Amino acid sequence: MIFEKRTERIFLAIFFLIALCIPLFLEDNSFFVGKATTILILAVFVMSLDFLVGRVGLVTLGHALFYGLGGYLFVILTPEYETVNFWVYAVYILAISALIALVVGVVVLRTSGIYFIMITLAISQMAYYFFFDSLEFGGNDGLFIFMKPETSIFGLNFLNLDNPTHFYYLSLLAVLVTLLAIKITLRSRFGRIVEASRLNPERTEALGYNIFAFRLISYVIGSTLAAYAGLLFALQYGYVNPQFMTWEMSGTALVMSILGGMGTIYGAILGTITYEGLQYVFEHLSKDWMLLMGGAIILMVLLLRKGLAGYLEKLLEK
Amino acid sequence: MSTELIFVQLVNGIQYGLLLFLIASGLTLVFGVMGILNLAHGSMYMVGAYLAWYFVSITGSFTLSALLSAVIALGLGILIERVLIQRLYNRNHLDQVLLTIGMIFVFNSLQSILWGNDPYGVAVPDTLGGSIPFTDNSSYPIYRIFAALICIAIAAALYFVVSKTRLGMLIRAGESNREMVEALGVNIKSLYTIVFAIGVMLAAVSGIIAAPMRSIVPGMGESVLITCFVVVVIGGMGSIKGAFVGALLVGVISTFAAVLMPTMSNMIIYIFMILVLLVKPQGLFAE
Repeated sequence: MIFEKRTERIFLAIFFLIALCIPLFLEDNSFFVGKATTILILAVFVMSLDFLVGRVGLVTLGHALFYGLGGYLFVILTPEYETVNFWVYAVYILAISALIALVVGVVVLRTSGIYFIMITLAISQMAYYFFFDSLEFGGNDGLFIFMKPETSIFGLNFLNLDNPTHFYYLSLLAVLVTLLAIKITLRSRFGRIVEASRLNPERTEALGYNIFAFRLISYVIGSTLAAYAGLLFALQYGYVNPQFMTWEMSGTALVMSILGGMGTIYGAILGTITYEGLQYVFEHLSKDWMLLMGGAIILMVLLLRKGLAGYLEKLLEK
Repeated sequence: MSTELIFVQLVNGIQYGLLLFLIASGLTLVFGVMGILNLAHGSMYMVGAYLAWYFVSITGSFTLSALLSAVIALGLGILIERVLIQRLYNRNHLDQVLLTIGMIFVFNSLQSILWGNDPYGVAVPDTLGGSIPFTDNSSYPIYRIFAALICIAIAAALYFVVSKTRLGMLIRAGESNREMVEALGVNIKSLYTIVFAIGVMLAAVSGIIAAPMRSIVPGMGESVLITCFVVVVIGGMGSIKGAFVGALLVGVISTFAAVLMPTMSNMIIYIFMILVLLVKPQGLFAE
């Protein structure tokens, strides 16, 4: 069983059950389907961050770099007025993102601790300003996606990305695949060594493992998943701009993941839903929603020691 | 580029660097002594600038406003440390990050509620108005020179306090071994409160000094925060001397970059920081 904790199994069962049914109740209300889709896409992004920060021990404040990259790569690689195949281009984009993550990883992994936080921040700021100041990539306005890709596999086509409900299920699939990919990675021999090197780097090294290589591969995995989330987000809204890459974006994802319960992976889903839900409610309550949001964040840090997942586990585990 | 222009830009860069040092010194002091990465540090800079603007608009006196704002900032620092930060000393660093991000939200929102989202400016005080002529056709504003001198004075005072006084001795001791300082009977709790409040005040004072030179706008805290990170990382986290060198480097480099290569200017300091970290992964003055 890759889901070890009872709380985890209960939460995920309820989550997927509700998530599968949501479009059935909201068929004609595409705003909420769109909102729910965005939350699912963010959940993929936050899970990939939770994996890096909570399980590999790489606290990055530049994760949004890859989120933006997923979107930018799509617009840059595809012809402007031609419908391309989603899966083919997804593979291209993820491969290029992985390659970029590999290069960035080699640089940033030379540092550790607080310096790692700062160098990842610096690299994503660099990318942000690169796109912000560039004329060919649309500057601050970013780039638009005029043609949504089609999604046929071997001639079979059952997804239409212009249909919000179809897009919703594509995003839900992304959540499931990301969750399974991270969980299976963590259960594997590779994952055990990665966790060992977070808990005790010296001993793991003494056992003959090259910690750098394990961290680098993990960094590539996490970053590539983030790029996939960014690709979906760009396709959902039909544009990509430098705002995808801001440090606030990375910071918000970090907030969601800590709120949910760092390193629990399923907590990332919980944290994303809670954060987005609170923001939605607060925005409707008052124009000063940030005050309420900030207050809620501060209260939750003070009251919940291990995030929402930790609180649930206290209730449900024996 | 003429020598004259180079000279003016150099002075600009140094002046900007000194201001950056003043902001960054609080960040690095709090990190060095307490191990806390205060992401809300930029918000304190913003609070200082807004308070200065607010009091100037009421009292009309810059000096009075500056004093009032600095005292309020000190009180705010004590309050924040006592009510919030103190509860997180035994917690994970990420919880502190989360808390200070929550504080950014609160301060940004309070700024918008109290003072609205219009940009403001503070007039340069009359006694410090005007400029000093450099050559026949260039001159330098007196207030900027005054601001640079104030930054140098505060840097010197900070150096004196940290290296020559009993408080400074405790601060240095707290940096290297917290448990031992506690075991020797020092009340580490109140030491932390003092250090944090000083950090907040340094950021706010920077905001006050910057108020007549820069426009006071929402979000001014975040942009300065990131630049300060670059400064303290280049210098070495926790090192005040490092922050001084880092701030001058960043100030001069970014000023020249803005003139020489405008399209790259925003990226330059990050590239510089990455290069520094590749050569010295702990910054220039790591201990």
